[in-house]
Amino acid sequence: MKYIDEFRDPEKAQRLLHLIHKRSTHPVRLMEFCGGHTHAIFKFGLRQLLPCTVTLLSGPGCPVCVTASSDLDRAIAMAHLPGVIVATFGDMMRVPGSNGTLQDAKAQGADVRMVYSSLDALSIARANPDRPLIFLAIGFETTAPTVAAAILQAQEEDVDNFFILSLHKLTPPATKAILDAGEVNLSGIIGPGHVTTVIGADSWNFLPNDYGIPCAIAGFEPLDILWAIYALVDMIEAHTPAVSNRYARSVRPEGNRRAQELMDQVFQIGPAEWRGLGVVPSSGLLLREQYRAFDAALHFPVQISPSQEPAGCRCGEVLRGVTEPPQCPLFARVCTPEHPIGPCMVSSEGACAAYMQYSEA
Amino acid sequence: MCLAVPARILSIEGQEAEVDFSGVRRRISVALTPEARVGDYVVIHTGFAISVLDEAEALETLKLFQELDEFTAQMLQDTDNPVSQSAPNHELSGK
Ligand code: SF4
Repeated sequence: MKYIDEFRDPEKAQRLLHLIHKRSTHPVRLMEFCGGHTHAIFKFGLRQLLPCTVTLLSGPGCPVCVTASSDLDRAIAMAHLPGVIVATFGDMMRVPGSNGTLQDAKAQGADVRMVYSSLDALSIARANPDRPLIFLAIGFETTAPTVAAAILQAQEEDVDNFFILSLHKLTPPATKAILDAGEVNLSGIIGPGHVTTVIGADSWNFLPNDYGIPCAIAGFEPLDILWAIYALVDMIEAHTPAVSNRYARSVRPEGNRRAQELMDQVFQIGPAEWRGLGVVPSSGLLLREQYRAFDAALHFPVQISPSQEPAGCRCGEVLRGVTEPPQCPLFARVCTPEHPIGPCMVSSEGACAAYMQYSEA
Repeated sequence: MCLAVPARILSIEGQEAEVDFSGVRRRISVALTPEARVGDYVVIHTGFAISVLDEAEALETLKLFQELDEFTAQMLQDTDNPVSQSAPNHELSGK
C-alpha cells in the first residue's frame, strides 16, 4: 500500500463514473472548497468525464488567493523596513499587491526568502539573531497548527527575533459566508480532505443541519474525488443530506486533537479579511495575549495607502464560485501563469491557473 | 502549498523524522502526530505530518471499490434493472 496508485486505478474510476452517470438524474451544483481539489480535478480531467447533470464549481480554498491585497501590501511594507527578513511560502512571492510583488521588493533590495515550512523560517531567525524575521503565516486549519508549533518552539528556545503576521483563515466560516450570500445555488460541498484531517468531519455537520445540503469529505486522488461526488449525488437524489467521510484513511470524526490543542493554545478566533469575501467575522486566527511577543503586526506597524485590486481582475468572483476563469476578460489574453494579474493565476491551487495549465482554454 | 502528500517514515528522533516521498528523502516534524511510528505512512503538509494514514480504512475503501466493480459489472449486463433504486448503500457517514 503506497496510498497513491491504488487510488488512481483507471478501471475503478471508469466504474465509479458509470455509477455517477446512472445515479444522477437531476442537475446538481457541487463546490469543491479546496484548491488542492481544484488542481486534482483539472489534472485528472474529471470535469469532462462527469455527466452533464453534475456541475463542479471552485471555491475559496486557495490560501494565497484569499489573502487580502491590504495584507499583502502590509507584508511588502514590512519587507522594506531596515534589517527585516521576510519569510514566506513560494506562491506568495509572485502575487501582485497594489504596487508590485514581494519578488519586486526583493529585487529592490528587501530580504525576502522562500520557505517550505514554518520551521525553516524559525531556522533563519536562529541563524540571524540580530535581525527580526517575519514569517507570513497564511493558510487554513492545516497550516495554523504548524505555525503554532513553531511559535512554541521559538518560545522554548528563547528565540526573540521570530515574528509572524497571522493571516490564517478558517474554512467553515467562509463556507457559511458563501452560502449566506446566496449568490451561488449549491446542492453539495466536496469537503477539504486535509483541513478536515485537522478539524474533524464533525465540523461540517452544520451543512446538513443548518443548510440542508450534504458534504462529502474527499481525498486528493481521482478515485477519492469521484467517490465523494458519487456520495453527494446519491444523498441529493435520496434527499438525505449528511456528512459523508470518503477519506477515512486520514480523516477522523474528531480530527487531529493534538493539532487542535496547539492551535487553540496559541491563537484565538477573530475577524479576517478575505479577498472576494471581505471581512468575515470569526474566520481568522489572532495570537493570544500571552504570545503577543511574536506578533509582527504589533511590533512592526506600517502605514499603507488604501489597497487596490488589480484592475480588471475577477479573482474575487472566481473565489466565490460566481465567475468561471474564462469569463474574465483578462484570462489567457493578458493574465497568464508567466504574467499573472491576480493571485488565482499565481498559485497552482488557484482556479485560473488550473484552467490554464490543464487547458480548457 | 496545501498539496499535502503521503510519505513513509524511515526514522524518528524526538519530534523529527526522516521520510521517503516516493524516493525523495526529507526531514519533517512529527510534533502534530505523536502516535507516528517508523514504517507508518503519514500525510505531510508544509513540513509537518498532519495524520497517520490508517491502512485498515484504506483497504476497506479499496474493497468497497471492488464491490462496486462487481455490482456495476452485473448492472452493465442487466440493463433492464433500474439502477437508481438498486444501488447499494455505501454510506460511510459516522466513520
Ligand atoms: S484570469 Fe487573471 S485577472 Fe482574471 S480573475 Fe483570474 S487571476 Fe484575475
